[in-house]
Amino acid sequence: MIRLERVTKSFPTSTRPALDGVDLAIDKGEFTFLVGSSGSGKSTFLRLILKEESPTHGTVHVAGKDLSKLSRWKVPALRRSIGCVFQDFRLLSNKTVFQNVAFALEVIGKPSHVVDQVVPEVLELVGLEGKAKRMPHELSGGEQQRVAIARAFVNRPMILIADEPTGNLDPNTSIGIMKLLDRINRTGTTVVMATHDAAIVNSMRRRVVELDDGKVIRDQQRGVYGYGG
Amino acid sequence: MRAQFVLSEIGIGLRRNLTMTIAVVVTTAISLALFGAGLLINRQVETMKDFWYDKVEVSVYLCGETSQRASCQAGPVTQAERESLLADLESTPEVEDVFYESQEEAYAHFKEQFEDTPDLVQNVPATALPESFRVKLRDPTQFEVVAAAFDGRPGIEEVEDQKALLQPFFAFLNKLQWMALIVAGVQVVAAALLISNTIRVAAYSRRRETGIMKLVGASSLYIQLPFLLEGVLAGLVGAVFASGTLVALKSIIIDGQLKPAFAFTAFVGWDDVLWVLPWLFITGILLAALSSFVTLRRHLRV
Repeated sequence: MIRLERVTKSFPTSTRPALDGVDLAIDKGEFTFLVGSSGSGKSTFLRLILKEESPTHGTVHVAGKDLSKLSRWKVPALRRSIGCVFQDFRLLSNKTVFQNVAFALEVIGKPSHVVDQVVPEVLELVGLEGKAKRMPHELSGGEQQRVAIARAFVNRPMILIADEPTGNLDPNTSIGIMKLLDRINRTGTTVVMATHDAAIVNSMRRRVVELDDGKVIRDQQRGVYGYGG
Repeated sequence: MRAQFVLSEIGIGLRRNLTMTIAVVVTTAISLALFGAGLLINRQVETMKDFWYDKVEVSVYLCGETSQRASCQAGPVTQAERESLLADLESTPEVEDVFYESQEEAYAHFKEQFEDTPDLVQNVPATALPESFRVKLRDPTQFEVVAAAFDGRPGIEEVEDQKALLQPFFAFLNKLQWMALIVAGVQVVAAALLISNTIRVAAYSRRRETGIMKLVGASSLYIQLPFLLEGVLAGLVGAVFASGTLVALKSIIIDGQLKPAFAFTAFVGWDDVLWVLPWLFITGILLAALSSFVTLRRHLRV
């Protein structure tokens, strides 16, 4: 589903590359944790998959497509097949829960009868039935993240990217979010999650890829957060 | 594409940026009004040319008692010279019509023209005014041909083109037109920069929305269209104000002030104004669309 071949990404402002010769393949339906200290290259990795950046060397394949050969006007189609969740939720504060999720469908031109049908379904899936008319600031952090997950998943993407989705949440709430991501993974969606949360990684026992200074230093099936932690 | 969604985004953008939007509208309106004024002056020159060239004649003044020119050294024009000149003028292909004006007729005409200043009339003797042929040309621009053929012939004191009397006025209007167009050009640049800046501010203040739109895979068109239409809408409103200004100029200044004061000449009509207005809209929309487009390409790339 996602394949990186000898990928190096350098930024002109830094002498050290953010990613350095990374070879990695993630299969369809896999749940992968991306761990490593800040600045280890996790975010760059995720941005490459979304083609927000292009690699300096090497190739990135997503869903069978070589991203370097993907013309710019086809990038939106790529991103429709990838859902994204972030630490800061990135909800629109002036829109209701329903409108926030519907926004993802509206901006890709889905007709309103589809929106009216699909949004309640996905809100139910993430456990927010009955809260469609709430504003984001009326919700708890966990609930806000569920809205963000609903928005990321409402298009039924093949890949879900989560960049520290539990970074702003307490441990109990984090467990709820992880259960939700696990459920989404079981529908066949490939999940890539960058995290610093050792407890979650250790309890899930999924594939762990550790990055350090832009290099893959560990790739374990059913791994833990780290030898030290 | 959902029109309602795009329209509501435009509304949000314009309201958030109200001061900048007003600045864009005002600058665009001024620049377009000046541009329109330039075009109208151009039409005015054409209108006056049509009006006056129909009326102007070539005057062929004949030698009188007091003429000093070399061609008049033989004394006043003789009857034979007069007849041969008339025959030659009439047989010149560029000439449409020839009238003869005697000294008496010229003096009567002169007295009539200056009846308000009797002092002047009293001081000019009846014989001071030369007799002349008044020549009407088929094409008023063909003066040089006639002048070359007749100027300097015995019995002719001077060949004068009345059209030349209008030239300073046309030259003045031409300068006015260029001044209006140059100021309009400077204003167009200012308007383009303002539109560009407004779009940039709008794009920045909505970076959250556009960031999410990018992530969920909205096309560039979908992301940029509200911004583009915002710019175009501002340009359009500017064009409406500019049109209003031109209509006011026509009805208040031209029809209300100039026409009664200068009744002897023609002014641009409403058809000329109607001819200018579409150009204001085309220019306004193109200006806004182009400057928005260039800005968006730089600041809202997918």
